[in-house]
Amino acid sequence: MVKTETEEKNWVGRPVPRKEENRLLRGRGKFADDIKLRNMLYLGFVRSSYAHARIVAVDTSRAQARKGVVSVLTGPEIASETQPFLEIGPEPCAKIKDYPLAVSKIRYQGEPVAAVLAESPALAVDAVELVDVQYEPLDPVVDVEEALKDESVLHEEAATNRVWRGVFEYGNVDQAFAEAAYVVDIDRLHFHRFSSTPLETNVILAQWDGKDERIYYWCNNSFPSFAIQFLAAHLGVPIDRIRVETSDIGGSFGIKITSYPQMAVCALASRKAGGRAVKWVETRSEHMLASAHGNERTFRRTRVALDRQGVITALVSEHLDDCGAYPRYEPLGCVIWSQVFPGVYRFRNARIDFTQAVTNKCPVGPNRGYSRMQHLWFLERVVDICAHQLAIPADEMRLRNYIRREEFPYTTPNGCVYDSGNYAKMLDVAKALIGWEEWKKKQASAREEGRLIGIGIGTTLDSGTNNFGQSQIVNPAAPFSGNSQGANCKLDIYGEVVVAVGSCPQGQGHETTAAQVVADVLNIHPDTVTVRTGFDTERNVHTGFSGTYASQFAVSGLSAVHGAAQKLKHEMTRLAAFALQASSDDLEFGSGSTGPEIRSRSTGASINYWGLSNIVNVNSAVLPPELHDITLNCRYVWRAPFKVPDKEKKYGSLTLTYASQLHIAVVEIEPETFIPRILDYAAVDDCGTRINPPIVEGQVYGATAHGIGAALMERCVYDSLGNMLTSTFSDYTPITAMNMPNVKYGHIETPSPHSYSGAKGMGEGGAAPLHAISAALQDALSARGIVIADSFNNGDSLFRALAEQKSGQGTKPVKVERRS
Amino acid sequence: MYTAAFEYHRASSLEEAATMLSQIGEGAKILAGGQSLIPLMKLRLAAPSHLIDIGFTSGGSYIREEGRLLRLGALTSHAEIELSPVAQRIAIVHDCAAGIADVQVRNRGTIGGSLAEADPSGDWATALLALSAEVHLISPAGERTLALDDFIKDAYTTALRSNEVIAEIRVHVPDAGSGGAYICLKRAAPVYATASVAVELKLEGNVCRQPAIVLGCVGLRPIRVDGAEAALRGREIDDVALEAAGEAVRVAADPESDMRGSAEYKRTVAGALVKRALRAALGRARGEIVETSHLYA
Ligand SMILES: Cc1cc2nc3c(=O)[nH]c(=O)nc-3n(C[C@H](O)[C@H](O)[C@H](O)COP(=O)(O)OP(=O)(O)OC[C@H]3O[C@@H](n4cnc5c(N)ncnc54)[C@H](O)[C@@H]3O)c2cc1C
Repeated sequence: MVKTETEEKNWVGRPVPRKEENRLLRGRGKFADDIKLRNMLYLGFVRSSYAHARIVAVDTSRAQARKGVVSVLTGPEIASETQPFLEIGPEPCAKIKDYPLAVSKIRYQGEPVAAVLAESPALAVDAVELVDVQYEPLDPVVDVEEALKDESVLHEEAATNRVWRGVFEYGNVDQAFAEAAYVVDIDRLHFHRFSSTPLETNVILAQWDGKDERIYYWCNNSFPSFAIQFLAAHLGVPIDRIRVETSDIGGSFGIKITSYPQMAVCALASRKAGGRAVKWVETRSEHMLASAHGNERTFRRTRVALDRQGVITALVSEHLDDCGAYPRYEPLGCVIWSQVFPGVYRFRNARIDFTQAVTNKCPVGPNRGYSRMQHLWFLERVVDICAHQLAIPADEMRLRNYIRREEFPYTTPNGCVYDSGNYAKMLDVAKALIGWEEWKKKQASAREEGRLIGIGIGTTLDSGTNNFGQSQIVNPAAPFSGNSQGANCKLDIYGEVVVAVGSCPQGQGHETTAAQVVADVLNIHPDTVTVRTGFDTERNVHTGFSGTYASQFAVSGLSAVHGAAQKLKHEMTRLAAFALQASSDDLEFGSGSTGPEIRSRSTGASINYWGLSNIVNVNSAVLPPELHDITLNCRYVWRAPFKVPDKEKKYGSLTLTYASQLHIAVVEIEPETFIPRILDYAAVDDCGTRINPPIVEGQVYGATAHGIGAALMERCVYDSLGNMLTSTFSDYTPITAMNMPNVKYGHIETPSPHSYSGAKGMGEGGAAPLHAISAALQDALSARGIVIADSFNNGDSLFRALAEQKSGQGTKPVKVERRS
Repeated sequence: MYTAAFEYHRASSLEEAATMLSQIGEGAKILAGGQSLIPLMKLRLAAPSHLIDIGFTSGGSYIREEGRLLRLGALTSHAEIELSPVAQRIAIVHDCAAGIADVQVRNRGTIGGSLAEADPSGDWATALLALSAEVHLISPAGERTLALDDFIKDAYTTALRSNEVIAEIRVHVPDAGSGGAYICLKRAAPVYATASVAVELKLEGNVCRQPAIVLGCVGLRPIRVDGAEAALRGREIDDVALEAAGEAVRVAADPESDMRGSAEYKRTVAGALVKRALRAALGRARGEIVETSHLYA
């Protein structure tokens, strides 16, 4: 039965039910906090209530005296035993000294000042309250433009708040402006700060074992191979001494990439406690206050040149990115946005002056849609604002400016190669789903009644599998380039097919899709493939890029799995040819009465996987010398075909695949309360070949929810003193299913020529709802002369925009110069 | 999230709880549903040294109609009130109970706890102030009954003495021909309202009698809006009257700008909510079945 099924059809591309569901939906997942070690201690962080302050004194005596408290760690103690964390950027960024506990200065509210270790979690929290810290408050800087004035400097050693600056210029900007029919000026656009609120917060269990001098971690960091590189250098230990294991993870969205400072503290605390294991479970308030937020970005002095038809010919702009108090993963975000430099548009001439600065806010981390969504939102705002100013319908404006289907693979002005896509077709599909024409009619009649309804398009990209060589654009000395992922595929001693991958999924279904890929290679059922996901340094499959981030598993992870499976298949073929005394072209893979097997077409003789493994693993005297290289334990490293980009010109291929999404939102601004209500919503996705369609659809819904939440509900708000006003869910109000519209889902498939399966990474989603909702609000309000200049909008902000406009106080943020 | 250490006491009756309060004195707190107190303790914004749990007393949770009085035991949960056919007859009471947070909070949280907490954003005080409601208190020294308006003193401040507990909430059942409604604007379900409005009125023919209009979340305590009531009293409620009431509400509201919205926005929302609530109340006074729901942003 199984045989005919697998012979007829590939498993890749089918809606195979997720293997991990059985465990996760029954509450049988194994999460980091489920792991308990004998005698373990609990860590609590003492956190600053100030955003910017000098530490005058830290008195730990009351805490130390408390029964059940084992020890207290402070910043100066850690600084005397470790190196500051590596900085990815060159000077001035490189001069920043980042330690996991504040040494002499506080730079954001919630920054850890000390860590206490106690016999129970409750005692740890009690002891935290007994550590007395004396602060001398300093002037906080919470706005990026203020920060760049350098009047109050966060990192004195760097002498400036500027982290990085670079100009990205391509084509002939001046000429394009000289020839323009229209020039549109947009003074200021702002992309707000928000996060992704994974259900499971950061959890770390660490043990610095004095017996073998190794550091053991059980945690939920989502990019462990990056974390260990930072940790080894910081702690001064060979990297092999650090073992990291992850199991099920309850969401990361990139936010858990930067948990390495807390990982360092836990290890040092364990060493100080004589090797007892140390657990830290982040509270929700700690997570909101001090884990990581997404990047906030301000776009100043944007000028757009357009021809008579409204085709954009050039763009100049200044982008100011706010990375919070410490760069950490930054300044990589200063180049990562340029993976999608022109977005989905054809313009060739552009100059973007990109600056990043530190402010007294929580450090940022690579939040879902990282650095590209800010830029894509900016471009969608630009296109939309120009359309409204020139009275070109929003859909028509896009069709005139989209990269065309026949232009793929398309090389962008900065040398990126868009593998495949068909944006115009996505627009058609989305318009049909939403009923574009009907909505246009309804909108017109609603307008006559004085109702404010808008229809907005958001087109976005999800660039996946990045070339780490782009780090050299921010720092020519950075020792990173390319991208790789490792996988191992083996027959275990009794013939079980076991796959291990260096990824640490957080709901993306890697167990299922990896099994589908292997099942196709070996022509067996995915149920017979065991997939070990979750990172484990000891499995020895990882490379320096392993982890789960940046929309790449479908390409890098599954290419590695595919390569390992083929390697195994090749070994199995040679072995079976020997065992069955057949030639390899006579062999076929399939399943028989004793399960998966290889058989000879001509003789009908077969050998099952147990038989094959037996020869290699426990019966090896029968193995002829020419087959001694066979291990049935095949590691394969897949490498992305990248070159190092041109650092001077900031030119090169920065990502391998470009999935796209197009969303249309119909939004009404409710009379009297000004609450934006989504009346209808369509989401169309193109991630090339869909390996498992329901998994893709699930990712689309998840990303849509995150985007709608960000557009209308979620933001990290700081007051002028740097107090975070949204450190609980009552204030941050993350989106729930109740706030979701019914999403009309559609898809097209333009297979990627850059991946073996035609798939493109698509997990981040590109934040299309932010673009579509801003556009819809713009459409609703443009008749009133209001420009949507912020990515966050709610009843209050729309009320204020309309009130300002009515009173004539509103500034004119957009100017149009008509030269024709 | 761990609370500071405390001693736990379980009271077998409200009387015993009041006695315990007297005996333990300073540092003792009543624990009812725990939906206000426990979160505060977990955030370490409250650290009582003794908790007296009244959740295991019997007879503290009931809903009874006796003559013109609706009597609610202090321990009656929001959910019990929401689902009670007796309580449902007073529309405003049902609106309030059904709209508090989510099912989990409604199952645990109690009406007595909500009034004792006197959170300026809590729903019960605002809703019940539009009706004539009283709070019955007991202590080892005896018992007394206060008008709700006298019970709620200020934000988080009530007339409760240190050894008193709320035993019962008494609501006068409105006359025939009355109708009411309670509507909030909320940013999400399990979150306190941005602004809320309670309306209760009686119709004689088409003429409005005894209007009561109370605003919540827009001041340190619920605000009764005399101006809006005057705009409606003794006349037919038409669009002009609605607008006048809305404007009076806008003026009377005294909100602060915060994460839920700017002060000016909250005023505007309160003005918009009162019109909706009035329309619903009017329909109900005429005997129509009017479904209402909070507005969720
Ligand atoms: C996520 C969340 C969302 C919420 N949203 C809302 C909302 O939208 N609207 C709303 O109104 N409320 C909301 N609440 C609060 C909820 O309604 C609480 O249940 C209520 O405020 C307190 O009732 P309780 O029984 O839980 O009291 P507890 O938390 O047990 O006690 C609260 C206070 O009252 C005192 N107390 C309790 N009972 C008595 C008594 N009989 N006599 C004297 N003192 C007493 C306690 O000592 C304590 O000081 C929310 C709560 C949560 C956790």
